[in-house]
Amino acid sequence: MKILPKDKVESLLMEMNKEAKVYCPQRTESGDLLLMPFGDGTYTDEMGKTVLSAKVVLFPQTEDILSFAGEGILKTTEHEATVVFGIRPCDMRAIVFTDRFMSRDNLIDPNYSARRHASAYVVVACTEPPSETCFCREAGGGLFLTDTPHDVQLFDAGDHFIALAGNEKGKAILENDYFDPPAENDKKMLEGIREKISQRSKAEDWVQSAVVKLRGNKVDDSFWDRLAQRCIKCGGCVYVCPTCTCFNVSDYPDESGYVRCRSWDACLFSGFTRETSGHNPRATQGARLARRHEHKLKFDMMNYHEIGCVGCGRCSDACPVGLGAIEIIHEINRLQ
Amino acid sequence: MTNSIGETDEAEAFFVIGSNTTEQHPLIAARIIEAVRRKKARLVVADPRRIQLAKLAAVHLRHRVGTDVALLNGMMHIILERGWENDAFIRKRTENVQALKDVVVAYSPGRVAELCGVDEEPLREAAEIYAKSDRAMILYAMGITQHITGTDNVKSLANLAMLTGHVGLPSTGVNPLRGQNNVQGACDMGALPNVYTGYQRVDDDDVVRKFEEAWKVTGLDRNAGLTVTEMVHEAETGEVKGLYILGENPAVSDPDARRTARSLKKLEFLVVQDIFMTETARYAHVILPALSFAEKSGTYTNTERRVQLSRQAMGSIKGCMPEWKIICEISSRAGYRMSYESPEEILNEINAVTPSYAGITQDRLETSWGLAWPCLHEDHPGTPFLHKEGFARGLGHFDPREYMPPAEAPDEEYPFLLTTGRVGPQFHTGTMTRKVPLLEREAPKSLLEMNPNDARRLRVKEGNTVAVESRRGELTLPVHVTPDVPEGSVFGTFHFSEGNINELTICALDPVAKIPEYKSCAVSIRRV
Repeated sequence: MKILPKDKVESLLMEMNKEAKVYCPQRTESGDLLLMPFGDGTYTDEMGKTVLSAKVVLFPQTEDILSFAGEGILKTTEHEATVVFGIRPCDMRAIVFTDRFMSRDNLIDPNYSARRHASAYVVVACTEPPSETCFCREAGGGLFLTDTPHDVQLFDAGDHFIALAGNEKGKAILENDYFDPPAENDKKMLEGIREKISQRSKAEDWVQSAVVKLRGNKVDDSFWDRLAQRCIKCGGCVYVCPTCTCFNVSDYPDESGYVRCRSWDACLFSGFTRETSGHNPRATQGARLARRHEHKLKFDMMNYHEIGCVGCGRCSDACPVGLGAIEIIHEINRLQ
Repeated sequence: MTNSIGETDEAEAFFVIGSNTTEQHPLIAARIIEAVRRKKARLVVADPRRIQLAKLAAVHLRHRVGTDVALLNGMMHIILERGWENDAFIRKRTENVQALKDVVVAYSPGRVAELCGVDEEPLREAAEIYAKSDRAMILYAMGITQHITGTDNVKSLANLAMLTGHVGLPSTGVNPLRGQNNVQGACDMGALPNVYTGYQRVDDDDVVRKFEEAWKVTGLDRNAGLTVTEMVHEAETGEVKGLYILGENPAVSDPDARRTARSLKKLEFLVVQDIFMTETARYAHVILPALSFAEKSGTYTNTERRVQLSRQAMGSIKGCMPEWKIICEISSRAGYRMSYESPEEILNEINAVTPSYAGITQDRLETSWGLAWPCLHEDHPGTPFLHKEGFARGLGHFDPREYMPPAEAPDEEYPFLLTTGRVGPQFHTGTMTRKVPLLEREAPKSLLEMNPNDARRLRVKEGNTVAVESRRGELTLPVHVTPDVPEGSVFGTFHFSEGNINELTICALDPVAKIPEYKSCAVSIRRV
């Protein structure tokens, strides 16, 4: 256990930024709280819910994954040491969830894996949910991490954070001079904080009840078709989702040959499942909406015994027509 | 738009006519959808096709293509018959209402049913929802304007809004949704044949004097020039000998593409300025490479009349110049020296000579989310909604219009009505969007949408190819079978030069605005 005085956080970030690329929540000129490279925005001490999760670090929106010319592959991308500071417990759960996908059946995604190994994560536990759309507790998580693997977790103790390492990587971070040894009462304080957060950690059962309905095949096509009448097919829910990992690759020419670029894709786009023949197994927007939510709430539950949603509520924040996970789960619950 | 976009959140009723809003203005559509879902706003959609919004509407009027005037006159007939008009507004703010009454009296529900194919009950319901709501917004787009009666259609909507007093208040007005990020700005800046900036007429002596002083010239032409469609026509007859086309691709986007090709070929000198190679640029003698939005700075004026700053976000490609610099260089070489240093300096001049833009200064744009015109001086807050106190001409003038059929009706030889439009993932002729792999994947080819009953009669199935022929050209297209298109009509898009629906469209023009009738022509279809 170490402590980090709040007035030293910015200096710590500056110090760490010398050795590694540091990401932390910062305000943009237009007022959004984004997880960005330190210095790209304005650091304001806020550790709220960033518009996008740490997915932007490990699996960026677009990335050049290799370049090639006649003779073969010229280069693959390199990944630098990175520290991501100030993410939330739900974000860390999403990373651990994504780790499993990115190494499924021993097929290791080299870019993701290289970034994952080169990066460390400092999680800030939530003393209370940072926004109205947070439902991590209902989604099987909590306001602080207990069993989920993590590097460092910080607990807010007023004028300072109490810092706990979750593994060796975390211990190395706590070696930094900006972390102080704990005072006598910090241990007791931590217990108090945890106790207090735990009291707020009681989950309601509305997510669980929707999962049961979906698993019992109680939700038919007409339900999804009705909701899909609102969908404007922007893909925003997918893009902001910390556990959505579908991507597309496209090649474009540069000076020396071609670059293969991968970019986020979305199962809500009609071209995502359309086959070369023109046949589309998910032919309607209703079928695509069903696929996305059944994947997360039903099939992930069947395969991994946990849903593929960490309850961050970003899809509900982003969707302009009220088709985020929260609204859809409530609609499922309203079904007879 | 007479209203601002955000005002859609508080409207009680929407009348959406000739706008496929979810495809073309999805974020405005999203606000409509949310107002309907969360605030129980009532939605009336008038569109021959069963567009997405129609599925969420309280009433969907599926009138025949090109019968908008009859439909709107029919609504006004019902409103007057039931006494749902706004007498106070009519008395205080308008004139000539008797003339309107004299015309719409002949548009009984029975006659409207015959002309438009819309029954009395839904028409009455639509009229009631619109007329009796306190805050009602009309939203329209090219489905209203791209007809030979485009001006009549717009005037009829204005009549409807004035009759019910639905203009000049928040969330209450008439709202044409503009099709490009800056088409409003281009018009505001006088990229029209008869006006200078801010719609100051070229035949007004005071205006001419003002611009002559500002530009230190004499003898500015007091005659209106040609519209875009007229220029292309006159190129064919040889009257117009040279064209300088900026950021437009008429070889694909103009109606009757073969005729457009003939016109472009005949030009003695064609300059095309664009960011990518286009079908039109293939006819050019000189191509000037311009910069994309991300490579330059300046302002755009969006559909709600809001002027916003756009800042350069990336370096520009070597050898390319921003449009304003190219224009300055050409003007200087042609004998009138233009020597602006920056977009800011140009904005200063706009402020000086354009009353509605006088207060939209660089400093204010830098520290705000933009300003909506009219913004008359530096302390003016801008104008979120128009016509609060009065109309530009004073009293609102009812100008009743009679129904006129489209230029070319289906007949035995060409039995189908072809209507054209767009799909969400592609923008216009695809010069930009077709280079984006994901957008191209969403809408990879030109399709002809056809009603299942017609498909059965022609013995075609989803994906089969048909030959579509009009009096102007022929095209082979794969068919998409969908009940969303009414029987007897087919729908196609102009996004794809290799399957360009404008090979078939007719170049019949609205007599005032000179907009072509893209929304209606006659075609024959056979299986191939």
